[in-house]
Amino acid sequence: MNTFLQLVVNGLGKGAVFALLALGFVVIFKATEVVNFAHGSLVLFGGYLVVVTRESLGWVGASLVGILSAALLALAVERLLLARARSADANSLALLTIGLDVIITEEVVRRLGVTLPFLGEAWDAQPIQIGGITLFRTHLVALAVSAVLITAFFLAFRYSDWGVAMRAQAENREAAALMGIRSSRVTATAWLVAGALAGVAVLFIATQDFSGAGLSRGTHSIALAAFPAAILGGLDSTAGAVVGGLVVGLAEALSAQYISFDFSKSAVFLVMLVVLALRPSGLFGTRESTRV
Amino acid sequence: MTSTPTRFAACAALSAALVLSACGTKGGGSGSSGPDAEGVRTGSGVTATDITLGVMTDKTGVFKNLGLGITQGNELWAKDINAAGGVCGRQVRLETVDHGYKADTAKTLYPQIEPKVAGFVQMLGSPVVAALKQNLLSDKAVAAPASWSSELLDNPYVMIVGTTYDVEMIDGLSYLQEKNLIADGDTIGHIYIDGEYGQNGLRGSKHYAGKHNLTVKEVKITSTDTDLTNIVTGLKGDGVKAILLTTSPPQTGSVAAVNKALGLNVPLLGNNPVFDPALLKSPAASALDKLHIVASSVPFSADLPKAKDVAAKYKAAYREPANGGVPYGYAVGEVWGTVLKKACENKDLTRDGIAKALKETTSAGTENLVAALDFSKPGAPATRQVYVAQPDPGAEGGVRYVKPLFEAAEARDYVAPHQK
Amino acid sequence: MSDVVAEKAAPPKIPSPARETGRGRWVRRLAWVALLLVLAALPLYLEAAWLKAGQYVMIGGVGAIGLTMLVGQAGQLSLAHAFFLLVGATGYTVLSGPADDERVFGLGLDPGLALVGAVLTAALLGLAFAPVAGRLRGIYLGVASLSLVFLGLYLGQSAEALTGGTSTGRTPAAFELFGFPFSNGGPEIELLGVPFRQAERTWYLFLVLTAVAFLLARGAVRGRVGRSWRAVRDNEAAATAMGVDVTRAKAGAFAVSSAYAGLAGVMTALWFDILKPDESEYGTYGINVSIAFLAMVIIGGLGSIPGALVGALIVHGLPQALALYSADLGLFGETGGSALTPALISSFVYGAAIVLVVLFEPGGLAAIGRRITSRGLSRKPPEEDPS
Repeated sequence: MNTFLQLVVNGLGKGAVFALLALGFVVIFKATEVVNFAHGSLVLFGGYLVVVTRESLGWVGASLVGILSAALLALAVERLLLARARSADANSLALLTIGLDVIITEEVVRRLGVTLPFLGEAWDAQPIQIGGITLFRTHLVALAVSAVLITAFFLAFRYSDWGVAMRAQAENREAAALMGIRSSRVTATAWLVAGALAGVAVLFIATQDFSGAGLSRGTHSIALAAFPAAILGGLDSTAGAVVGGLVVGLAEALSAQYISFDFSKSAVFLVMLVVLALRPSGLFGTRESTRV
Repeated sequence: MTSTPTRFAACAALSAALVLSACGTKGGGSGSSGPDAEGVRTGSGVTATDITLGVMTDKTGVFKNLGLGITQGNELWAKDINAAGGVCGRQVRLETVDHGYKADTAKTLYPQIEPKVAGFVQMLGSPVVAALKQNLLSDKAVAAPASWSSELLDNPYVMIVGTTYDVEMIDGLSYLQEKNLIADGDTIGHIYIDGEYGQNGLRGSKHYAGKHNLTVKEVKITSTDTDLTNIVTGLKGDGVKAILLTTSPPQTGSVAAVNKALGLNVPLLGNNPVFDPALLKSPAASALDKLHIVASSVPFSADLPKAKDVAAKYKAAYREPANGGVPYGYAVGEVWGTVLKKACENKDLTRDGIAKALKETTSAGTENLVAALDFSKPGAPATRQVYVAQPDPGAEGGVRYVKPLFEAAEARDYVAPHQK
Repeated sequence: MSDVVAEKAAPPKIPSPARETGRGRWVRRLAWVALLLVLAALPLYLEAAWLKAGQYVMIGGVGAIGLTMLVGQAGQLSLAHAFFLLVGATGYTVLSGPADDERVFGLGLDPGLALVGAVLTAALLGLAFAPVAGRLRGIYLGVASLSLVFLGLYLGQSAEALTGGTSTGRTPAAFELFGFPFSNGGPEIELLGVPFRQAERTWYLFLVLTAVAFLLARGAVRGRVGRSWRAVRDNEAAATAMGVDVTRAKAGAFAVSSAYAGLAGVMTALWFDILKPDESEYGTYGINVSIAFLAMVIIGGLGSIPGALVGALIVHGLPQALALYSADLGLFGETGGSALTPALISSFVYGAAIVLVVLFEPGGLAAIGRRITSRGLSRKPPEEDPS
């Protein structure tokens, strides 16, 4: 029983971070219908700037720089590349982000060289034991931060001008434009937010508690696991992203123990495949209708 | 107006004609020469003045640190042996290529380097060695892989300098039992990277477990997994008394950290590659005290005359921080030197002659950089002796010995997979 | 927005192929024949290492032709290509493997038959995925197909009797046709003083396979099948109205594309002389490979068969060529932390190529090529003149 509880704790802790990543996918998708394959490289980029600036700015300052630079990179990608390819459709733009992902990832990995810097100085590897269950401090902080950010996001989404504009745009782009909503601003903000979420997520990922390794190509692989999280929740559902993240975390933890560890990585993708076969738009996604 | 396709067609046809007639084909010319003045027969990579050995290494991929260390060790050896007059009246030259730990790159580089060399003093990377297995067989080229899996020993041209992962595990378990850290009938966990490396380590622990009625909980992982929290959680539930590791250094760090975090605190036993001094600077550093490392080649800072000699020469020649690859690379060179001398005595420096000399090598000495090696038994590891070491931030190179070279009785009886 | 998704963002319009007439056609044919002649003569001049590199490009070419039909012609985004490569490689090795091996399973078939069998197996598995694929659209399909790569990773590791396991892998039987081995064995052949050994023989084998793959694909794309794929890609509802069986067209595209990937897989196993399943999601049959193939077809121009070959030349050829040149010229001598490597430079090049293609020339290199030739050739505006 203790084993089971511990696994659930492990799974939820990681799921919180997957939710942050998945939310990033969803925000961009809702605003632009583009699936951002470069999300993993945003994560790496933010982490890399933390590594570079940590010496001079200290951990807190460097973390802020990392979050900000991931956000700005995302913004730059949108403004300088995607916005200029207006003629291309969403699928082509998704392919473009694959190309970007390759470039940014290879360059960051090259710059990291052989070092595997850990980013979780403040709380890493200092677990708390409660009644036979170990709580990893990184997971706890990640859960708290995710809860705050996700709540803030939901509130902004519902009540702020940006949220209203974005929902309008997601409903019907042309009508939104007619209502005077500036599509470019909504889109740019969405990328900015997604980049910032990636920058936050990396602070938890590149830790002993979460990934067991510092910033590296592996960090990018982990970001890849947020894909099934976003997809199985439904790419256009923010609530789905949160649920999807937690499902992926739990599926990974439980299948590692009760099926086999080497199956666990495939397990999250298979869960996604099953969900998609039953509900082609994910658990909470909007059903598609065909237009003739 | 000439259209582009027309022009293209004309060009192509013209160049085809040119190519076919004008330039000579690549044919003609190679093959082994006859005996030289001393009556020594020679083959690929051997001229009257030089013996060329190949180095297929990783200078740019995931194992670039290790690759660089081994290559520098190889170079130091070549310098030393040439200063001492070379082998068979010939100077040793190294031909180095970098495959970046990619099997596909290695596969194209191999046909380029193969005709120029007598054999390979270094072939790094188990995917590379696996991809080139057939080539080594058909070209009869002796190669020293920087991989210590006894699965490789079905290839008679493979020269493993040191013992193999399976034997390391057997010796290591006997050490744990000798120290009363495990007992007959216990349950132990073994986390291993699926592949040549991990499977071979697992083979060893299963052998030992069979002799001592241990239950082994096996957990297969891949080389890119780094978070092993869920695995250690499960092993804790199974009540393991020790965890064996045939993993990469970051994975070792994860297991050590979780071992402590969950309050499990069992001893950890790992093969040679599980440890990297960088772990001592990671968040897992404080949890490494439970780790025991078994190895047959010494670390850079070993307290041995020869190791100190190599270390001093290294510091004089290179600026990069050193690693265990340096003394190992030097030791492989020493073994190659022994084999080449034997081939020279046999007056046969052809590939066949070198392979024959390897089989006749029963005690290649490296002045204890590696235990004495015997290559005469097909399929069997060349030695079964290991050291045990533990991480120690105070020691140069990050580890200190806790037990000098020894061979467990269980290791002596062990039959390697391709042992005849 | 759901409507917009359903509209399904077809890849850039690839004009449906029509036949040109007269001089242009003959010139084209002549150019292809000349190219083939040069390729056939290369083994006489190129060293084995370069032949090996060329064969790697041909593997890429065959796989990319298959993918470009699926993604470009039928509009089905797939990241599962690497999985079908693994199926083909495993299929060939199992079918041709010795039947009496106690460690691994084999059927002892003739290698020629095994090759056909492996291609068919891949096609059938592609067909099996079709019902799932049929329900998904666009990017959902792309990511769903990614799960096949992970499935392949798991099966490759666990089905050791078939794949030999990641520990040792297993050796595929050397290819043989009517008793003639494509290895160093068999009769000694020499032409103009050049001994024809494994590298040279395999070159011709791969060249023939690539040529056949190319011609079949061109036939399919120009025929009724191709028309139905493009109809489905452009608008499913309209295609149905036109009498195209959408489900069947999609499933067919998946099967054909998988068959091509299967063939590329067989070639991969023969090229490496070993079948070795990957230890992680990056490897010979990993995500990186799926992405590389996608890069080839995007760079070459979605839907263009010759474009796929050019894409393969860039994505598969560049790293190999750079590695060989670096050995020749002593490039990339720098080592340590942040050295530039042939693989790295190639990644930059193809990453950038994807970005540039999507931004500036959604038709890829094929469109550029078309524009150049049509400008030179004729009066036809490019929209009408096809691949």
